[in-house]
Amino acid sequence: MTNELTAGKAFGALVDIPRCIGCESCSVACKLYNGLDWEEERKRLTAADRAAEPNKGLWPEDWTSIAQYNPEKDGVRTIRFVKSQCFHCDEPACASACFSKAFQKLPQGPVIYDQSLCVGCRYCMLACPFDIIKYEWDKAIPACRKCQMCAPRVAEGEAPACVAVCPTGALFFGEKEEVLAEAKKRIAAGDYIDHIYGEQEAGGTGWLYISDIPFAEMRFRTDVTTRSLPSYTESYMGATPLVGIGWAAVLAGLYVYNNKGKDHLD
Amino acid sequence: MPIQSGRARKLCRRSFLKLVGGAGVLGATLGIAGCGASASADAAAGAAGWMPSQYNVPAGWPVQVRGRVAIAPDNPSITRDNEKCILCGQCIEVCKNVQSVFDNYELPFKEEIICIHCGQCTHWCPSGAITEVDENAKVIAALADPNKFVVVQMAPSTRVGLGEEFGFPVGTNVERLQYAALYKLGFDAVFDTNFSADLTIMEEGSELVRRVLGVNEHDGHANNTLPQFTSCCPGWVKYVEYYYPDLMAHLSSSKSPQQMTAPLYKTYYAETKGIDPKNIFSVSIMPCTAKKFEAARPEMNAASRLYDDPAVSADVDVVLTVRELARLIKNQGIDFNELTEVDCDKMMGEYTGAGAIFGATGGVMEAAVRSAYYLITGEQPPAALWELTPVRGLAGVKEAAVSIPGAGEVKVCVVSGLANAGVVMDRVRAGDRSYAFIEVMACPSGCQYGGGQPRSSSPPSDAVRTTRTETLYRIDRECQLRNSHDNPEITALYKNYLGEPGSELAELLLHTSYTSRAEKLTVKRV
Repeated sequence: MTNELTAGKAFGALVDIPRCIGCESCSVACKLYNGLDWEEERKRLTAADRAAEPNKGLWPEDWTSIAQYNPEKDGVRTIRFVKSQCFHCDEPACASACFSKAFQKLPQGPVIYDQSLCVGCRYCMLACPFDIIKYEWDKAIPACRKCQMCAPRVAEGEAPACVAVCPTGALFFGEKEEVLAEAKKRIAAGDYIDHIYGEQEAGGTGWLYISDIPFAEMRFRTDVTTRSLPSYTESYMGATPLVGIGWAAVLAGLYVYNNKGKDHLD
Repeated sequence: MPIQSGRARKLCRRSFLKLVGGAGVLGATLGIAGCGASASADAAAGAAGWMPSQYNVPAGWPVQVRGRVAIAPDNPSITRDNEKCILCGQCIEVCKNVQSVFDNYELPFKEEIICIHCGQCTHWCPSGAITEVDENAKVIAALADPNKFVVVQMAPSTRVGLGEEFGFPVGTNVERLQYAALYKLGFDAVFDTNFSADLTIMEEGSELVRRVLGVNEHDGHANNTLPQFTSCCPGWVKYVEYYYPDLMAHLSSSKSPQQMTAPLYKTYYAETKGIDPKNIFSVSIMPCTAKKFEAARPEMNAASRLYDDPAVSADVDVVLTVRELARLIKNQGIDFNELTEVDCDKMMGEYTGAGAIFGATGGVMEAAVRSAYYLITGEQPPAALWELTPVRGLAGVKEAAVSIPGAGEVKVCVVSGLANAGVVMDRVRAGDRSYAFIEVMACPSGCQYGGGQPRSSSPPSDAVRTTRTETLYRIDRECQLRNSHDNPEITALYKNYLGEPGSELAELLLHTSYTSRAEKLTVKRV
């Protein structure tokens, strides 16, 4: 899709954790826009319940979620809400691991999934450093499910549904450099930890987080490499086509050599 | 050339088919593998739903209405069905602009999600996503328990709302049908909160007079702070505790009507009737969601403290909004329209016109002025004080001056809607002492369109408000007795049990103190 508004632009988003009030407008907007189902038993869960889930509330029908943590700040128990969704890595490991190109990084920023290309191998789930991708284990024709960053909206220059509805400015959307500059501006102006989560993690992600509470206290992975994940394997995996073509050439050569001078009717 | 002609012959049919077939299989394989497909946003999963149109704009464009308010899962008053939410932003509109709660604090939150439980968002929510917390199950269980003596009180404005749930025109007074429905549901005693309102006037009015005379004491401390604020509205009380904790001494120490008679059911009534207070289960029917919060406040256990018995439960065990009561009546298969009108229980059921108008903005003020006149002069108020028109009507801030012999010109102020209250409070904080008494109701136009009343228009309309208010004033006009101090049951209560307004026992059962919530939030400085 081409659009003069978005041509040549790459977008990202910022999650400003202290400004989140836990209203969950974002997760409702995600459900509305993406037509995701409400599951009766999951509907009753609170943000605190989700913080205790292994997935932090992400499921095939829940592409973004709010989890509530109760960290201490200056010795006082406080409440913070953390939004989870796909980080939309600059160089996504899932897309790199996917040999059928069901996962792809769009030039505008979203990492999208196309079920018609998927073979169901689930390498993407193993590859993702943030445990984002969920699989429809209970379906006859299952799909991988995760946040698509509302790709058709972003392609038109509109903010993803979740960002569009955030009432407090906890979510901010713009071009990647703009988002990074906004994060730095907010850190400089307010009571924040001087760390933009996602600036370096996994080689840089489209979604960035800033916080006044250490990220480790809110179940963020702090042991993620700062190198892009595909870069670990691309040096030798890049040789795969050459190896394939080379083998084909060698075997074809052997065939020709073995059949040289033979009559086909023999 | 035999070899060449031989090859040419082979390619003709079999090899050609092999070639084409092989190419086809290769192409299909590559196609399935996605080779050559260029990434497109249209290929993304999802995006099959919809978004409210105000959000479908380029990211940089300003959108005035965004999202929704936050509701804590342990909020005792309101809850939300996320599946019904359409993100229209109406809850924010009322919470922020009408009640000045949302966004009237700095982020991040400290310990809790800020809410004063007024429930106006339940009226503004067009899809019915936000509702009261339904506690009917507790009442049904208590009614089914043979050991429980279940008493119920019903607030002044419930009788002008409940009928709307059963097809009556807006503002119909269904008082005596409502009594009948409560008896039919199985309540052992039905009382009227209008009586409680009369009692509130006795305590709050006496307190005002003592403050004016400079002889008021509460909790062993002199407190003659003026202006005195009403404390009937739990949403308003929590608002003061959040935003104006420095002005808490202005709040009347008298409890709200609900919390005044509730401990009396478990003490005065129980002793008179010989019922074990531990077996009394107290329900109140309120036009209000904040009453659920008020009833759950830890200090609202005066009966238990009086008997020093933790087995006596909270003064009010369950608060039902009018909407919940309507649901209960329907679920229990009672045909409201076929009921026969009855009277409620005596002893704490008689009321005067002054108690009846508590449900309208200005009503508490008008009732208080009538009795304050009597308490100061010892004479009955003149008929002009029975129609104190300046404090009637839907205006957000109303003023009146009443001349009372012995006290001179007394200036009073009536406010409804907390954004309006904030304006008046800022003046009081700045040192404005022109008023003696300020009445505040959190909900615009008072309890008759409180957060627990039937949703007869959404958002609340002035037409419905006016009609309900007119009915309340008509009840007042049609009452034989129009001053709280003339209520014979009130006289009997003081004579037989409490002594006099402000007595030690009255102080224990009918008065309370407030908790600063300043540390729960950082108020936004404009």
